[in-house]
Amino acid sequence: MQSLTKSLSRLLVSNWFRLTLSAASTAVFLTLWWLFSAYLRADWPFQGVTPSPTRAAEIPYWWDVLRALGKSFAVSSGNPGELLMSEHIFASLKRISIAFALAIVTAVPLGLLMGRSKNAEAVGRPFVELFRPIPPLAWVPIFLIVFKLFWGPIAIVFLGIFFPILLNVMLGARSVDPVLIDAALTLGAKRGTIFSKVVLPFTTPYLMTGITVGLGIGWMCIVAAEMLGNVGGGVGYLIFAANTTSQYELMYAAMLMIGILSVLTTGVAGLIERWVYRWMGMR
Amino acid sequence: MEKKLIIIAVVIAAIVVVGGLSAALLLGNGSKNGGTVYYVTLPPKDMKAALAGGTVDAYIAWEPYVSDSVVGDVGDVLEWSNQIMPNHPCCVVAVSSSFLNGPNGINLTERFLKAHIEANQWMVDALAHPSGANYTSLVDMAVQFTSRNATVVEAALEHVKYGYEMDQNFRNALKQFTDMYIDSNMTTATKLQDRGYSSTTDFINKYVNGSLLAEAASMTPSSAILNPSNPIRLGYLLGDLHQLAQVVAQNSTLVGGKSMFEEYGLNVKDATGAPFANGGSEMTLGFAGGTVDMGYLGAPPAILNHLNGAVNTVIVAQANSEGSGLVVKANSDIHDLADLVNKTVATPGESSIQFLLLKIALDKEGLDLKIKT
Repeated sequence: MQSLTKSLSRLLVSNWFRLTLSAASTAVFLTLWWLFSAYLRADWPFQGVTPSPTRAAEIPYWWDVLRALGKSFAVSSGNPGELLMSEHIFASLKRISIAFALAIVTAVPLGLLMGRSKNAEAVGRPFVELFRPIPPLAWVPIFLIVFKLFWGPIAIVFLGIFFPILLNVMLGARSVDPVLIDAALTLGAKRGTIFSKVVLPFTTPYLMTGITVGLGIGWMCIVAAEMLGNVGGGVGYLIFAANTTSQYELMYAAMLMIGILSVLTTGVAGLIERWVYRWMGMR
Repeated sequence: MEKKLIIIAVVIAAIVVVGGLSAALLLGNGSKNGGTVYYVTLPPKDMKAALAGGTVDAYIAWEPYVSDSVVGDVGDVLEWSNQIMPNHPCCVVAVSSSFLNGPNGINLTERFLKAHIEANQWMVDALAHPSGANYTSLVDMAVQFTSRNATVVEAALEHVKYGYEMDQNFRNALKQFTDMYIDSNMTTATKLQDRGYSSTTDFINKYVNGSLLAEAASMTPSSAILNPSNPIRLGYLLGDLHQLAQVVAQNSTLVGGKSMFEEYGLNVKDATGAPFANGGSEMTLGFAGGTVDMGYLGAPPAILNHLNGAVNTVIVAQANSEGSGLVVKANSDIHDLADLVNKTVATPGESSIQFLLLKIALDKEGLDLKIKT
């Protein structure tokens, strides 16, 4: 406990300036938010200054959003689906996790193959270039019918995560320094060894970048994926449903939750990255 | 010693009573004895395919999405909405408060309502004479509007009641919907008061404005268009047969080469974003977004979004009553509501009247309605 406190103090002291900047920017943002909401409502300090408040409910005060966030964890009544926020989070995390796992097992081998084999790239490239730009929202009606209520939303998130990982792994595999491969060949390494000892470690940083980007896009896709016809709610569903019933504090609370979950999952990805590097003896 | 025994006995008794009450409370908060029916949200245009593909076991929607499945032998109607709640109001005409209070707003609104009244009267007359030319025209208009064939449209028209009046039954039903929303915490009494209403009765009395409809009856045609460069931006739902009145009022073949809107001096055009997927979207994207002046939509989403989102609108006329149905797969083993236990029903969304009607129907059977997990 003492060493933890000491480490934390040392961290705070050595990063005080950057922490102060972060705190200050957050405070400025919250202050601007408050002022904008007050302006729309003609509340202090804008009483008598602005026209009659209209459309004020769309921009609630930030503390009302935090209150709605807290309440959504404790009370299910009134929440879309009558589920607690924790249940919505669990549903979304389940979708993201399954979609992520599927993306990893498909995109990594495909990316390595297309990165190392020009023929494989020639086969796969037309499909990648055709399907990559299509927004996930466009797939919602088709995927719900083809893959049904459980797998349909997962398929949409999968599409969002798959392409960044595929393209980054391709790039990494293609960028392996030929000198390293020549050196390995000179030392008598076989193809399998070259792959596991040269190509794979070289591609790992690219893979990790793809994972970070893919997870971010996956969270962006969650709203489209959960908009309609999903099973078990979800944070994206909560945003959509709260919007159609004008429960704006709850809607913003769910949006904030997506941001927090994205940061947390990216943080977990970072920890996995550090572990992988350590396991590979790279750092 | 005796005192101690008495104290121990009282403590044990208290624990038993409190424990028993807690257990009863916890167990009692579970699903009703009858069982649970599960729901998901789907747009009505996707419900037939979802039913046919086995994605859902049933769905509740407005016409023509009900008859679409029945005529196509995909589904059978388990219950019509008038069996759940006879003469229930469904779609209404709402006007944006900023439009109403704007230049010439009241006059334009009353003229719009006059055209709406005439369209309704024309439709009711056409439906009463199925062998007449007007009926054929009405079906043609509905076919174009809904992108469904004539057989589906004719079947659907049998179940929709068109009308424009807002009688006491209408107001009572809207009050019931508002109370249901407050009971389920989808809105609150606090928000009702924040909007300036003292009670749900007060809310309905003010939010439903019958005076404009009364004045509209005396409107006379106008030879000139009163808003040539500021058209009324009209909102409505995709393929919703309940809102056929606006299609009839915009048809230019019925009144000597001009539409009923033009007859009464109005320039009306589709709002940006129309047709909307559901009433909630029309309220939040349309009215709140400032792109809709007058719109046809379900009464419940109008109520909910006005109270929660301060979307400043007023209900000025009814558009239809009844005309929705709960559809199950054709030849399925679902013959009554109790057979829906542990099955999945698609609804247009929690703010829709269809969702409320499903809840009412299941409540009567002692069944719970929960989101599918």
